[in-house]
Amino acid sequence: MIGGTLVTLLAQGPIPADMGGVTLAHYLVVSAVMFVLGLVGFMVRRNLIIMFLCTELMFQAAGIALIAFSRFHMNHTGQTFVIFVLTVAAAEAAMALALVVLLFRRKETLDGAAWRELKG
Amino acid sequence: MIEKIGALWPEIILFAAACIVMVVGLSPTAAVRRLCAPLAGAALIVAGIVAWFTTPAAHGPLPMLPLFGKTLVAGVGVLLALLLAGTPDREYESAIARGATGYDPIRANRAEFWAFFLFSLTGAMLCAGADDLIWLFLALELTSLPTYIMVAVSTGRNRSMEAAVKYFFLGALGAAVFLYGFTLLYGGTGTTRLFAPAGEPSIASILAAQAAGPGINAVAMTGLVLSFLGVCFKIAAVPMHFYTPDVYQGASSAVAGFLAFVPKAAGFFTILILAGAAGWWGSSPVDAGGSLPQPLHQIVLIVAILTMSVGNALAVVQSSAKRMLAYSSIAHSGYMLVGVVAGPGPANAPYTSNGVAAVLFYLLSYGVMNLGAFAVLASLERRRADGSADEADDVNDLKGLCATRPLLGWTLVLSVVGLLGLPPLLGFWAKLPLFTSAISSNEIGLVIVLGLNSAVAAYYYLRLASVALLESPELTNDTVRSSPFPARAVAGLASAVGIVLLAAWPLNQWAMQGGRYQRVEPLKAAEGTPPARVDAGAPAAR
Repeated sequence: MIGGTLVTLLAQGPIPADMGGVTLAHYLVVSAVMFVLGLVGFMVRRNLIIMFLCTELMFQAAGIALIAFSRFHMNHTGQTFVIFVLTVAAAEAAMALALVVLLFRRKETLDGAAWRELKG
Repeated sequence: MIEKIGALWPEIILFAAACIVMVVGLSPTAAVRRLCAPLAGAALIVAGIVAWFTTPAAHGPLPMLPLFGKTLVAGVGVLLALLLAGTPDREYESAIARGATGYDPIRANRAEFWAFFLFSLTGAMLCAGADDLIWLFLALELTSLPTYIMVAVSTGRNRSMEAAVKYFFLGALGAAVFLYGFTLLYGGTGTTRLFAPAGEPSIASILAAQAAGPGINAVAMTGLVLSFLGVCFKIAAVPMHFYTPDVYQGASSAVAGFLAFVPKAAGFFTILILAGAAGWWGSSPVDAGGSLPQPLHQIVLIVAILTMSVGNALAVVQSSAKRMLAYSSIAHSGYMLVGVVAGPGPANAPYTSNGVAAVLFYLLSYGVMNLGAFAVLASLERRRADGSADEADDVNDLKGLCATRPLLGWTLVLSVVGLLGLPPLLGFWAKLPLFTSAISSNEIGLVIVLGLNSAVAAYYYLRLASVALLESPELTNDTVRSSPFPARAVAGLASAVGIVLLAAWPLNQWAMQGGRYQRVEPLKAAEGTPPARVDAGAPAAR
């Protein structure tokens, strides 16, 4: 009985009428724009924290696309995937901040260009 | 679900061992803390044996890949454990011995280092057995995340921090790219299952149906290409190779040896799984010549050519042995991609025309040979006139090694000559099937590039060998001496023995088993999601 209620709760019902015009393409365009913004930001910026946020932006772009596809295919796999992606993104955030703090302690700057000992 | 857990015993053992090692390392007794490395090694041996006996054949195009991959990772992992023994804090320990600093049990015994080592190997094993995109994504991340920390803590120098941060940021970029690829692959097929029993919808069977009908749809194809380019980071192939020399030089030699094998193995398992899902049978029934679907085939081909050429060309001009080995590691990824382009050949193809088996055997030989070279570097340290110690890195540090330390010297000579691929040694038997499989799939241009690159590679490998074998030791104030970790020399010796003897073993039969390919039957349209459903312009289903 409770299982049945849960299924009704989780079932993907019809889209509200005032959102009916939003199609898969809209979501994919938003996601692609976010991904490209993240990529460009990663290439252009040199601040370590901004660079990390740019990779986060790319992860979340994939998340939006996953949810849109999940809705489109009418299955839950994509949404499940997003939960795992968020978990991994959180693990990466913990590591990134730890590394950035480690680096900041040594050189007192967040500028990635200050670290250029390795070359050849 | 339960049968999936049954296939995961080796990973479960490694995971449990990683947790135990973390706890053991907190013990107040030094003797107990020192158990970390032996425990990790023992866990790997047990996991390897369990993997050999319990791994079932998978559904899908490469049924024996999990068995081969898991035992390979466990086997080379044991050698890597020997190589890494003593890595974490030797500078700190020598500082303690000199009385320069106090004793701090948390820093002195890096249990977490061994835990990360085991986690990373667990990830590589999970990659080999993956049959779902979510699983594959998590396995790849489990392989890489611990390696970033391992680089950062491998030495106490600024260099390691810089290497770790570069590795981490490019790694995150690579992960985002293949995640987006996986997303599009899911969008184009409607499922994240890569392989499933016949008749059930899976990415492999839906792509096969699309290929047999209208052609693989653009969304799924973009997804495949993006996933491949993202995974190029793990194998250090050309668009994502920039980090390799810096990271290998910044990390300690032992950790660099680890980085050259484990992420690469995980990456190649992933590429083989994705390529198996796409199928080596052309993009349409007309083009059933046994190649990957068309745009993907072209891209893998170009990446393979660029990777081996760039790797070899830049290796020639290096003066640091670690950077040279890093570029050689890039070049070897290019060689292995040749096998991916060639594909498994026709049904029941012999070993010589099965490119997948060639890749798997090459991965094994590369793991063994590369480990020998890094073990020699890790066994040497350069002590400056002022008493500070640093790892041997410059090619000149290896001068006259065969005369001063015959064991290490000959290990180095065997490893580099093996990497070069000279006939009686393992490297030759690994490279040969790459050539023959590429010829039998009519990739003549690729074979020529591969041959030219092997010739270029001879220059720098023979330079390393001749420095060790022919030149006399350098007499300066800087002295090169053995580092105080006998386990590393043992690892080097084991790999040298492997380079000579493994060629005689029927290991290629094992690789042949691992590379066995069976075509995936196209999914009948009535049985699952209609493959032609994705159309970016269509309104979301309501």
